[in-house]
Amino acid sequence: MSRQFPQKADTGSKASDDLLSEGHEGLRKIPDNEMIASYERVRDHQVQTGQDRTYPNIRRLHGTPFEREKDRREVRALLEKPNEMQAWYQMARTQPCTWWIKNHLVARHALKSCLACGVCTSQCPAAQYYEEYNPRAIVDIALSEDEARLVELLKSETLWYCGQCGSCKPKCSRENNLMGLISSLRFLAQLKGYHLASVRGRQQYAARHLWGGNLWNRACSLYFRNVTSAGHPDFGPRYADYHADIDRQMTRLGANPDSSGQLGGRKVPPETLAELRRCVTWGGTLVLWQRLEELALEDARAVGISIDEYHDQVRSEG
Amino acid sequence: MTASTATTKVIPENDFFIPPSCILGAINPSTEVIITRIFDLLGLRWKAAGVGPESQCTCCTGILSHGDIMSIESTLLVVARLWSVAAEMGFENISPACVTSFAIHTECFEMYEHEPELTVKVDRWLQEACGRRLVIPKHIVHASDVVYRYRETLAQNFMKHRLVDKTDGRPLRVVDHVGCHYAKVFPEKSIGGADWCDVLAGAIRSWGGENVDYPERRHCCGMGFRQCMIRPNRGYTMACVLKKLESMEPWAPEAILTNCPGCNVMLDKEQWAVKELTGKTYDIPTLSYTELAGLLLGWDPYGVVGIQAHTVPIEPLLDKIGIPYDRSKEWQPEAQQDIELAGVRA
Ligand code: SF4
Ligand code: SF4
Repeated sequence: MSRQFPQKADTGSKASDDLLSEGHEGLRKIPDNEMIASYERVRDHQVQTGQDRTYPNIRRLHGTPFEREKDRREVRALLEKPNEMQAWYQMARTQPCTWWIKNHLVARHALKSCLACGVCTSQCPAAQYYEEYNPRAIVDIALSEDEARLVELLKSETLWYCGQCGSCKPKCSRENNLMGLISSLRFLAQLKGYHLASVRGRQQYAARHLWGGNLWNRACSLYFRNVTSAGHPDFGPRYADYHADIDRQMTRLGANPDSSGQLGGRKVPPETLAELRRCVTWGGTLVLWQRLEELALEDARAVGISIDEYHDQVRSEG
Repeated sequence: MTASTATTKVIPENDFFIPPSCILGAINPSTEVIITRIFDLLGLRWKAAGVGPESQCTCCTGILSHGDIMSIESTLLVVARLWSVAAEMGFENISPACVTSFAIHTECFEMYEHEPELTVKVDRWLQEACGRRLVIPKHIVHASDVVYRYRETLAQNFMKHRLVDKTDGRPLRVVDHVGCHYAKVFPEKSIGGADWCDVLAGAIRSWGGENVDYPERRHCCGMGFRQCMIRPNRGYTMACVLKKLESMEPWAPEAILTNCPGCNVMLDKEQWAVKELTGKTYDIPTLSYTELAGLLLGWDPYGVVGIQAHTVPIEPLLDKIGIPYDRSKEWQPEAQQDIELAGVRA
């Protein structure tokens, strides 16, 4: 195989190299347009490898403070003139939790009634692992229309225990959708800032930049370089060997690591990414991302750490 | 017949738009590539997004949606955009490589059925967002449905090996683990429903093996999105895998077969963690339905099927079946013509 995989990429610009090594504080002085243009220039730098084009800098950009700060600026700008769904989510977060359950598209279809039979809990894998977790009780609270109980649930650790497997769905004689209900309640918890009351809830800031960063920048919620052997000692030594050689192995198997192509690891062209971002934007998600940002910053300030330190802390807490 | 036992699913004969999977692409890339290789072998028409060398295909947002950082409206729009790309290329059937994508696409499809005014809204938003129109597909089937439809054709016309012990022809004992988001979220859209799903069991039988039942057959693998991907939460995943391994052990399975990207990763890789935690070695080879098909088709275990990406060694299973492999090729990429020689259109 003639294809080469550069281990150390060059951004082609001293200024861009500097940005890549900056933390949040140092990046603050860079104007938005300069930062975004610099990011895109580095990202789109390409090397011709046989018939494919490879983008050797993506590996350097992913998960960096530079990427996160660039994302924050883009999100903020896209909320300046809220569209229909952005306005809806901004309004919804000021309403009582009971209102949300009756009005949110997922929540309002999720619950019909409940026999309190407990079948959902009896076969729930999360309830088998976490003694204090009980999806039937979540249904009970959601149906109670009791605001105080709902707020308590949204601030709880247990809200985050559901594995979103859907095992409960076919077993519920009332055809309730607990997976959807719980996800909808988690969304609300974050809009209202109640997620900060739990360790598991605070992890959402890391989730936003991991999956959200990948989607926003690479059109895919997982990036093959995320699943490192250092981050996954549970995967064993053979996986470590595989991951150490991942560019060659993926290419060998027909995938497209950081390159043009149609399958795993592909880099989508800027037009595809732009369309995706506009879909995400129209759907109102950025209201949540902006809330997570504001709340994380407040939380970080309260404990006297930087936003980058906060990001790393919430990712490893629990 | 109740929803959970219905088997009325229609699997179209041909023409599939295949949105790729984030998890497969990141961790098990061969499983996804082999879908396209099998479709080629069967002479099926397919596209994985893109008329040119660059992809127009994005992820479905499933991980973000179940990770609770994506609004349902954003998911509806991203999926509607994928459907529009498919329609542009003349495809009416969506066949995601990923089980969670299958459930996400199906959920969007169902939402339009239950709330017709949503169709008008999303169509308007999609036009405003990217100048595209909402085109609801005819069928949404998982790639494993298509393989299920052609399982006998594959066995009779193409497979070089059978799922039997080479020494005495005994059918190998294989347990299945069907992805929760394939059979539980919309059981009526799966083959056989949530309890007696046949999508993998049928393939095991057709390919010569014996499908073995076990008590925790339907228990989740524990992937759980935020559970396995945020490191401090991973104990949940390991516990789910352990529960399944303990449950299947008395039935002495010789392989585990999966159709979900996350399950394939967890059931294979967490066997290492289970060994470290409990001191007990299970080492049950775990394969996706396409990896197993690829091996039985005689495709190169390292160069095409990518068994080197597995934590639990697959080689003992190959020895049992009599599938040859060259250990020197484990990490050493071969010349392209070697792959072509293995009978695959590269
Ligand atoms: S299975 Fe359904 S009806 Fe029974 S307790 Fe759970 S939500 Fe209520
Ligand atoms: S979706 Fe959540 S509540 Fe339902 S069975 Fe799975 S983990 Fe339990």
